[in-house]
Amino acid sequence: MTDNTRRQILKVAAAGGGLAAFGAGFSHTAERIADHVLGREPAQDALSGRSLQPEFHVDPQSGELHVNPEQQISYTACIGCTTLCGVRVRIDKASGRVLRVAGNPYSPLSAQAPLPMKTSVRDSYVSLSRAGERGLAGRSTACGRGNAVIEQMYSPYRVLTPMKRVGPRHSGQWQPISIEQLIREVCEGGDLFGEGHVDGLAALRDLKTPIDAERPELGARVNQVGLFFSVQDGRESLARRFIQQAYGSINIVNHGAYCGGAYRSGSGAVFGDLKKMPHAKPDYTHAEFILFIGTAPGNAGNPFKQQGTQIARARTDGGLNYVVVDPVLTHADNLAARDRGRWVPIKPGTDGALAMALMRWLFDHQRFDRHFLEQPNQNVAEASGEAAWCNATHLIVTEPKHPRQGRFLRASDLGLALPDGAERYGEQDAFVVAAADGTLLAHDAASEAAQLFVDASFEVNGQPLKLASSLQLLREAAFEQSIEQYSAICGIPVETLAGLAHELSNHGKHAAVSAQGGMMAGNGFYNAWSVLTLNTLLGNLNVKGGTFVNGGAFRYDGPGPRYDLESFDGALKPKGIPLARNVPYEKSSEFRSKQAAGQPYPAQAPWYPNAPGLGSEWLPAMFNGYPYPLKALILWSANPLYGVPGLAGQVHAAIADPKRLPLLIAIDPFINETSAYADYIVPDALLYESWGWAAPWGGVPTKATTARWPVVEPRADKMADGQPIGMESFLITLAKTLGLPGFGAAALRDTDGNPYPLDRAEDWYLRAGANVAFAGKQAAPDASDDDLQLSGVERLRPQLEATLKPDEWRKVACIYSRGGRYQPQSEAYSGEWNSNRFTRPLQVYNETIGCARDSMTGQRLRGVPCWSAPHFADGTPLRARYTEQDWPLQLISYKSPLLNSYAIGASRLRGLHPENPVAMHPDDAARLGIAHGDFIEIETPDGHARSRVAVRYGVQRGVLAIEHGYGHRELGARAHRIGEHSQPEDARLAAGINLNDLGLRDPTRAGYSVWMDPIAGTAVRQGIPARARKAAA
Amino acid sequence: MLQNRRDFLRGLVSISAGAIALAFDTPAQADTQAARTAPSTHRWGMVVDVAKCIGCQACTVACIHENAVPEDNFRTIVSTYEVHEGERTDAYMLARLCNHCEKPACIPVCPVGATFQRADGVVLVDGERCVGCAYCVQACPYDARFINPVTNKADKCTFCAHRLDAGLLPACVETCVGGARIFGDLRDPQSSVRRLLAEHQGEIKVLKPEQGTVPQVFYLGLDPRFAGKVDGEAALWRPSHQEA
Repeated sequence: MTDNTRRQILKVAAAGGGLAAFGAGFSHTAERIADHVLGREPAQDALSGRSLQPEFHVDPQSGELHVNPEQQISYTACIGCTTLCGVRVRIDKASGRVLRVAGNPYSPLSAQAPLPMKTSVRDSYVSLSRAGERGLAGRSTACGRGNAVIEQMYSPYRVLTPMKRVGPRHSGQWQPISIEQLIREVCEGGDLFGEGHVDGLAALRDLKTPIDAERPELGARVNQVGLFFSVQDGRESLARRFIQQAYGSINIVNHGAYCGGAYRSGSGAVFGDLKKMPHAKPDYTHAEFILFIGTAPGNAGNPFKQQGTQIARARTDGGLNYVVVDPVLTHADNLAARDRGRWVPIKPGTDGALAMALMRWLFDHQRFDRHFLEQPNQNVAEASGEAAWCNATHLIVTEPKHPRQGRFLRASDLGLALPDGAERYGEQDAFVVAAADGTLLAHDAASEAAQLFVDASFEVNGQPLKLASSLQLLREAAFEQSIEQYSAICGIPVETLAGLAHELSNHGKHAAVSAQGGMMAGNGFYNAWSVLTLNTLLGNLNVKGGTFVNGGAFRYDGPGPRYDLESFDGALKPKGIPLARNVPYEKSSEFRSKQAAGQPYPAQAPWYPNAPGLGSEWLPAMFNGYPYPLKALILWSANPLYGVPGLAGQVHAAIADPKRLPLLIAIDPFINETSAYADYIVPDALLYESWGWAAPWGGVPTKATTARWPVVEPRADKMADGQPIGMESFLITLAKTLGLPGFGAAALRDTDGNPYPLDRAEDWYLRAGANVAFAGKQAAPDASDDDLQLSGVERLRPQLEATLKPDEWRKVACIYSRGGRYQPQSEAYSGEWNSNRFTRPLQVYNETIGCARDSMTGQRLRGVPCWSAPHFADGTPLRARYTEQDWPLQLISYKSPLLNSYAIGASRLRGLHPENPVAMHPDDAARLGIAHGDFIEIETPDGHARSRVAVRYGVQRGVLAIEHGYGHRELGARAHRIGEHSQPEDARLAAGINLNDLGLRDPTRAGYSVWMDPIAGTAVRQGIPARARKAAA
Repeated sequence: MLQNRRDFLRGLVSISAGAIALAFDTPAQADTQAARTAPSTHRWGMVVDVAKCIGCQACTVACIHENAVPEDNFRTIVSTYEVHEGERTDAYMLARLCNHCEKPACIPVCPVGATFQRADGVVLVDGERCVGCAYCVQACPYDARFINPVTNKADKCTFCAHRLDAGLLPACVETCVGGARIFGDLRDPQSSVRRLLAEHQGEIKVLKPEQGTVPQVFYLGLDPRFAGKVDGEAALWRPSHQEA
């Protein structure tokens, strides 16, 4: 029913429809006059009303600064999302309340033109003013959410006191208790709830007894205590030190596997590290064309705000054109930029087909970067002018049934001598390439370009051996389907595919492809790998205008230049199988016994050797008891029941049952959907109350470390010694109570071996600050007294001087006064190359993947990117199980520019965008008889929901797009009773729906399961089969 | 398929030169009430570069905090649209605020002289005089005013006059993530706003020019379909207090 002649303008719900101002009315005029007569609430100031007093005055002529003595400006970090931007916080000194937040002008995540560290704090304030219009060019911002989340600090739903549940789990009733009682009970255990004996953390720390004597590889019983945290917010090293090195459990995990993990895993395959998963971002400022697939610059992503600033500038003042491929149109596009930015809809979970189509076109038209790809090693690549290199020319054994089939041919296979002490097939056993004349030679011995496409039998040690080059295998994968077939899969017309490929290949290295959270489909790993391999074919890594990896951090933890924050006397190295089984199945007793019985596959449930720790799998694993059940779980602001698709509906009974999980402790400033089940909740610092040293997640080519420090007094209750209760004071006290190594007196050492205590958060973070200050060739500058005064760091001075050495404290103070330590932006490039380059080879063929077997099907995985349709664990394709006939629609999740999974409490965000109507295409709406604003019932194989509909052209046909961040059951959506106090009832916090309540279990798995990508182990939220019908209003 | 973004503007009818009276051409009429005015060498104005807006609402929320704007009211907001034309669908964002017009429609209708214009062009409401009758709210062609439910006075954007007077920038400008809001002195030929107006002469537009209010908030990249009342389907937004 698309009407090509008609213009449709639809105010979408992202903000502001019928507003009081700018659209609606003024209906209470008479009443207002009456109120005035009665003299109710007069304005504070005749002209400025209730506006804030300015934080300082700057003389526009002289630039002289006069601060408002009633306010404090401090530079610290936001935690309104995972970007962790540097911000400036404006505080009312008398009340200690945060008044407003904007950007830190030193921070590359917030400022358009970050100030160098040597700029004084005084001058940094002047740089924000209108004097000389410096504040325009020197703008440093906070986004809408960053501006709004301060309200959360004063939320009536905050947990400020330690609490213990009253009645059964999830009763919503709590008893405030002292932190001392809480720590005693969780350490000692006992009949804590009148439900029988519960083992405490002391008894559970059994470092010797195996969990299962028949399966010793699982490790000792201590592994049955796990710590599940949310975000790497610059505090996680202390939690890791506690649970792994001190307590001794292998089990710690974060939210990555239900965030953007598939993207990271696909990137890990490209960059050759599937555990740390390096990734690169396009250089928005210098690129000429960027293709965004499953990511939306300016709408979401990380770094959200910086990308927003950069895309806005690049599509206007800069030279960038871009296309966003996504099932849903978001703020990534703006009509005002006309053809500089375009949206192309795609079917969910088919990004890999798009990528393979583009590859096929590049191969067909010889439009890949041959010069980049054919360099056999780093030296030759650099000498020939390439800033990076890859393994496109490296040869793989393709001889059928050969024991090394799927492995790279190595120099030792040619009979070449290995360097002294080198292991055969180890890192120093070179790869092999075919020279132009066809001779085989070690890749590091080659002095010029090698053959790119090799598929032949060679004589190796007198035997014929079939070999193929990496790029040959990639080309074969790309050629498995025609562009027309790929087009049919992804729903993008052939001409558009050709146009995109042409455009991508028409800018040399100044074109790039970018992806992120949109990769979370049932085939997310191969989709992401395929998409990101386009960058390899463009040869754009490390090049100005291409792609780049992060410049890295001034590291705070680890051995450190001043203090060793890694090793300590008695530190444990945990052993065993992690809960999510992200290790090879083939090393398990189960595999050996099944192999002995003749049928090693399938495993009882999938293993994920090529994935990092998987928060998506933790709850299914612990409640299936496979590999083992947990006895105690510490949740630190993690919320898997809200965040993992398909999980909550399955596990709510299990997690509510203390027999299934005997001890559940939450550290959380709020009660979320998961911590609502806790036995105990320990309050935590929130936003500007907390410490931390954070590195950017991506997008910053220079070294950067953001400093977070309590610029306001934490609101939680205090420990007996005056420390605020929070993650740090809780874990430190817990460790000391349990007598664990690495905490308490003499737990830390400086580089000379002198001992220092770890009794308080400051002991850790300030010494970490010394490491940041002394990292790199040159130490950070010293703070002046004026810096200390103006920045509010003066408040920390007694602790700084007491904790640090005389040559350290002013440097650390300098970093706090500037909200971080940042390499100058001028050092981002050396000529046309990035200064901080990724120098290991990009993987066109990934041997680790190519030699791995799926633990369920026993099939070898493909070692190159390929089109792989979404499927379940046993290999059943999605559409074989849930047919298009029965489930004609597909759900996708998209990120909100305003809300996230924990921002619903910010009323001013809700005021802009109170709920999340599901986006549906007009053709689907017409078919179902649904009008804009109607309600529908959505049904998936494992869930259902009722939702309002926004009928939009900005969504792919057949797709229901659900904005993330709504549909809460906790965080205020349910009022809890704490002691005698009841939280306020506010149904607005429950508005809208949560896609994750509609997610799937894996129907081919037994027990608890969620549908996950078979390699990345990441939860599936893109392309969930569904159907819908009109509901009663 | 890709062309310079400024090109398309040439194809559209731009407002006749006379319709955009720039304030620096004709000095503002000084308010005669000495208590509320002072001479000024400035004339403040804003250019909104629409293509730089990402609709993140940082301006909206910063304004709310800076100016204690009550719930469900806005001194500024970014209206967000979806535009479907032919086979193409795009988002469109339009920042809205008081235009601090050169000929403000709100001033003559005020029965008590509460609304006035400073010599630097900023249109303000004198809260001590305002009786909350809302004539100005009705008179404003831009719906930029509201009756503040806490103070019961007419309320609207002040260009953060309290910050300007302190040598600072308006809150919305300081925190504009895309750099879409460019603010400055229209009487200073070297200012960014003046340079932009000169550079994009003929492309610069204002909202509802036919109203004759001579707005001093200028738009670069303003689609004419959005210059007046937007003909589209309403969003599903309702005031917070009506939610759930």
